[in-house]
This record gives sequence, structure tokens and C-alpha cells, in this order.
Amino acid sequence: MTDMTSRERVLKLFAREPVDTMPCFSGQGMVTVPAIDSVGIPFPQIHLTAENMAESAIKSMEMFDFDAAVVPYDMCTIPEAFGLGVSIYENAEGILFPTIPKKWPSPDEVVIPEDYLERARMPVVDGAIKLLKEKIGTTHAIGTWILGPFTLAGQLVELDVLMKMAYKEKAKVEALLDKIVDLTIDLGRHYREIGADFVSLREMGTGADLISPKMFKKLIQPRLRKIFEAWDSPKILHICGSTDLIIELMNDCGAEVISVDHKNTLSESRSKIGNDILLFGDYDGFNLPSKASGEEIQEAIKKCIDSGVDAVWPGCDIWPDVKSENMQAINNAIKEFGRVSTPAVGRL
Amino acid sequence: MGKEELREELLKQLHEGVVEFEEDQVKEAAQRVLDEGLNVYDAVMNGLAAGMQEVGELYDQHEYFVPELLMAADALYVGLDILRPHIKMEDLGDKPKGQVVIGTVQGDVHDIGKNIIKMMFDVAGFTVHDLGRDVPLEKFVEEQLNTDSEIVALSAMMTTTMMGMEKVIKMIKEKNPNVAIMLGGAPVTSDTADLFGADGYAESAGNAVQEAIKMIGRLREMQAK
Ligand code: B12
Repeated sequence: MTDMTSRERVLKLFAREPVDTMPCFSGQGMVTVPAIDSVGIPFPQIHLTAENMAESAIKSMEMFDFDAAVVPYDMCTIPEAFGLGVSIYENAEGILFPTIPKKWPSPDEVVIPEDYLERARMPVVDGAIKLLKEKIGTTHAIGTWILGPFTLAGQLVELDVLMKMAYKEKAKVEALLDKIVDLTIDLGRHYREIGADFVSLREMGTGADLISPKMFKKLIQPRLRKIFEAWDSPKILHICGSTDLIIELMNDCGAEVISVDHKNTLSESRSKIGNDILLFGDYDGFNLPSKASGEEIQEAIKKCIDSGVDAVWPGCDIWPDVKSENMQAINNAIKEFGRVSTPAVGRL
Repeated sequence: MGKEELREELLKQLHEGVVEFEEDQVKEAAQRVLDEGLNVYDAVMNGLAAGMQEVGELYDQHEYFVPELLMAADALYVGLDILRPHIKMEDLGDKPKGQVVIGTVQGDVHDIGKNIIKMMFDVAGFTVHDLGRDVPLEKFVEEQLNTDSEIVALSAMMTTTMMGMEKVIKMIKEKNPNVAIMLGGAPVTSDTADLFGADGYAESAGNAVQEAIKMIGRLREMQAK
């Protein structure tokens, strides 16, 4: 292996320049229980202070040789800062992700405070990114993510209300989405400015298990395009769930990276979108790290690579309660099988 | 128009109204069913429910997606709200209909699938007690005891919240072994349902109600022994 740092490996991959081997990372949460146990931070606490968030990300990264650290871990930071509150489940046993207790009844009631960046846990996320920059910024890549406009809207107004209104009162839904698009453009830039090397846009509420490809094309695609036009590279679009029916539409949003989950038929997707774009995916972020056998892990990672991904990513957040030996085996397999060039990225 | 002709016409309007999300059409047709003194149960099953069945098929064929499903559900409820208070007990015949407690377990806010299952129970004539989502596990036990429901239907969309189901099953069975517990949601399989000690499982809305009716049947047999 060369003396390429993790950060260089990730950035070169995004730039589609040759790397020594495939980096191990993700565009979504990859905090792990073994890591937070080792530093004594309970799961509910990792969401609450910049120090805990950064430390849990760094520890998870170091423990399993990831090439990047990613924060935050939950989808509530923005809605909470808009004033919706959050349930953290401080006393629950086991892993419960934060949720939004009560949403607005309709899109026209949503209020976006101008100073939302200063509210609730927005400063926690900012602080965590800055800490990561300070502590690992020269050696490792720093990632963050923002929900796509429709999925974020679904955190403000119930997703089912939105989906129905997208038919019946389309203008109201569009008006909310447009506000969110503008905010997302600024927020993405802000995260880059304070130290993030990449920002993944997670539009998981728009797969074909929820909305039709037709609705995706009319309502979602133009807005994703606007965001990616405004953002600097790397431009990453992640959608989990059924994406076979919309992979070509995803490819036509201006993103440079498309990330999908294991419901996608990767090899077919690759042939549909060609080799001129980065495709990431798509191991099962629950079963592989916490349930699978060593053999199954080897097989699954090899299958991802053989199907034509440029980086093996989990299809969603890695379920935190991983078995250490599994997580390590996954990353070892990625580094090992990832020595050969992939459709869009060569090897040194 | 003869009575049979009128029946056919109104059933068609109810059916179509659901498939095409025409709430006004459903409302009018349902009201006419009452005004003309037609069989209300027939209108629910062969009009509204039949329409919903077609919606389910369109969904399976990727013609319809979740928004369409939800709008069809709204149209269906418009009809159901008008018709249901007028269903006569004798119309239900000897079909075992009962009460269901339904909810998505604690820590899990995925409720779109749960709401679809709830609707299937509603349309099949069950009385449904919907606890919503992110429901504390003890709440299922309490609600079952308060309502004396035959069925508790649990939904979970995440592998971990699914683990909460096992606890609920234990808690309920301890207090009351004669409750049929049914599981569903994307990570749940019939193997997990068995492993957790549930009485039933359904992969999708299509077979949830039949499975529930079978479960009640089995329970009654056991009680008769
Ligand atoms: C929409 C969605 C959301 C929405 C939910 C909105 C809502 N009000 O429901 C939002 C954006 C809020 C969301 C949040 C999260 N999500 Co989510 N989400 C999804 C998604 C894309 C679709 C689910 C859906 O509604 N499908 C459509 C309905 C119609 O289908 P269904 O739910 O399967 O229901 C059918 C059957 O399962 C069955 N059924 C369901 N319930 C029951 C009950 C009974 C009794 C019976 C008989 C049958 C039955 O019948 C239904 C109708 O046919 C899935 C991915 C996927 N494709 O499944 C991820 C998914 C479920 N989410 C996931 C995750 C991880 C999360 C988050 C933790 C992300 C995060 N980091 O915060 C949070 C969880 C927050 C929380 N604490 O709950 C993971 C779960 C992974 C796992 N195995 O554990 C999934 C699988 C995505 C993935 N690829 O990994 N999500």
C-alpha cells in the first residue's frame, strides 16, 4: 500500500482519480456501540453535545479503520431547530433514534426561523464538525448529510399528509419544498465552509416504495437539480428503498455520486447509468454488521464490488449495535477486494 | 331503475369512487344506499372493499404508489363513516368479527404501513383501537385489557424496534393468554413471528385480515377444548 492518507483516498475517489484501494466510509451515520461503550458515552448522549458527537464519531472511525467520520446521527436536528422539539429517549434501554414528537398539520403552517442555525442542536452539529476538523481533519475525511427536500418536509409535516397534498394541493407542497431547497443550498455550503469534506443529500422518502417515478420526475427531480447545481463537488445523492424504477432519474439530477441500498439491483443500475458516474452501495447496514457470518460478509462485499460500485457503502445508517468482529471484517473485505479498479475509478 | 339495477349502479359508484379517489362520489353513493334502504353490508363489502382490493392490485403492479393508496383510503373512509353505523348485526352472519388494538411499537415512527393495515381491519368490520406510533410497550397491554380486544396487531419497521415486539407479546400473554397477537412490518418475517411467540403474521395488507380471522378461529377452537 502507498502512503496515501484516508482523507486523500476519499477525496481522490470523489474526484475520480486513481486510489490505492477502496476507502471504507459512508455518507450516513456510522457510529457504533462498541466504540461509544469504550469511551463510556450512552447512546442518547451522543446526539446532545458537540464533544460527544465528535468523540463517538472519531472512536467509531478509529476502532474499525474507517477512512472518514460522519456526523450527525439523527434526522431531527433541523426540525427541532424550527421549534418542533425532539424525543431523545434518554431512559430507554437499547438503541432508539431521536424522533420528532409532533409535526405541523399542513405545509402552509411551517415556520422557518431565520436564526435556526443558532437554535437547538444546530450548534452541536456545527461544533462537532469543527472538532472533527481540528482533531482528524488532516488525516481523515469528514462527512455530514442533510435530508432531501421531500424527506425533510416529511419531518415537518406528516409524510402521508404531504403525499396526498402533492396531488390535491400541489402548490402548497411545492412552496414548502422550494423554501427547503433554498435553505438546503445554504446549509450545505455552510457545512463545507466549517470543515465537512462532503455532504450527502439523503432523499429517502422518495423511493418507488413510496412515490411514483412520475411524481419523482415532476416534484423531486427539478429541486434536487437546483441543489446540486448550487453545491460544490462532491455532489452525493442517496435514496434507500426501491430505486430500480428511478435510477435513471436519479442519474439526471446533477449528482456526481449515486448511492442506493440493497433493494437496488446494482449490476442493472450500473449498466443503465454507465461508467461515467460514481455508484455507491449497497450492503445491508443491519444484518451484515450485527448478524452475518464471516463467510456471508465476504460474499456480500464481493458481490457489491462485482456488481460495479466505486465504493462499498451501507444502504442506510449502520445499525449502531454492531458486532466488532463483523464490522472489522466488513472493512477488511472492502480494503482487500477494493484493490482492483472499479468502473469509474482507477488504481495506482 | 329496478332494485338490482340500482344496487349494481351504486356498488359501481362506490368501487370507482375508491379507485379514483372521488370522495364526493363515494359520499353521494353511500348516502343513496341508506336512502334507498339497500343492504349496507353489501355496499361496504362489494362496493368499498372491492374498490380497495382493486387499489391493492394496482399497487402491486406499480400502477399506484403510496400517495394513491392513501387517497383511496380517504375515499373509503368517507363511505365507511356513513355506512358503518347502519350495518346490522345479522348482516355480519357468523363471520367472527372482533376488536383489534393496533400500533407501531416504541421508538419507531414508521406508520404508513400500519395505517394501511388498520384500514383493512376497518373495512372488514372490526372495531379498531389505533394507538398510533412510537407506542410505549405497556400501552398495548393496557389497551388490550381495557377494550378486551381479541387481537393485538403490532407493526415495526426497524430491526431493533422489532425486538420490542417480543416483550409486548410476553407481557400480554402473561396477563391474558387468550389474545391473538399478530405482527407485521418490513423487517418481520413469519419466522420471527414464530420465534417471538406471536399467533400470526402477514407480509402485506392483502392477507392481513384473512390471517386475523384465521387466528381468531384457532383461538376459539382452543378455548372450546
Ligand atoms: C418512509 C420511511 C421513513 C419515514 C417514515 C414516515 C412515516 N410516517 O412512516 C421517515 C423519513 C420519518 C423515516 C425515518 C427513519 N427511518 Co425510515 N424508512 C422509510 C422507508 C423509505 C419506507 C417505509 C414505508 O412507509 N413503506 C411503505 C409501506 C406501505 O410499506 P410497509 O411499511 O412495509 O408496510 C407494509 C407491510 O410491511 C405490512 N405491515 C406493516 N405493518 C404491519 C403490521 C401488521 C400487524 C401486519 C399484519 C402487516 C404490516 O403491510 C404494509 C402494507 O402492505 C423505509 C425503506 C423501505 N423501503 O422500507 C425506511 C426504513 C424503514 N427506515 C429506516 C431507518 C433506519 C430510519 C431512521 C432510523 C433513520 C435515522 N437515522 O433517523 C429513522 C427512524 C426514526 C424512528 N425512530 O422511527 C430503515 C430501517 C432499517 C432496519 N432494518 O432497521 C429502512 C428499512 C431504510 C433502510 N434501507 O435501511 N423513515
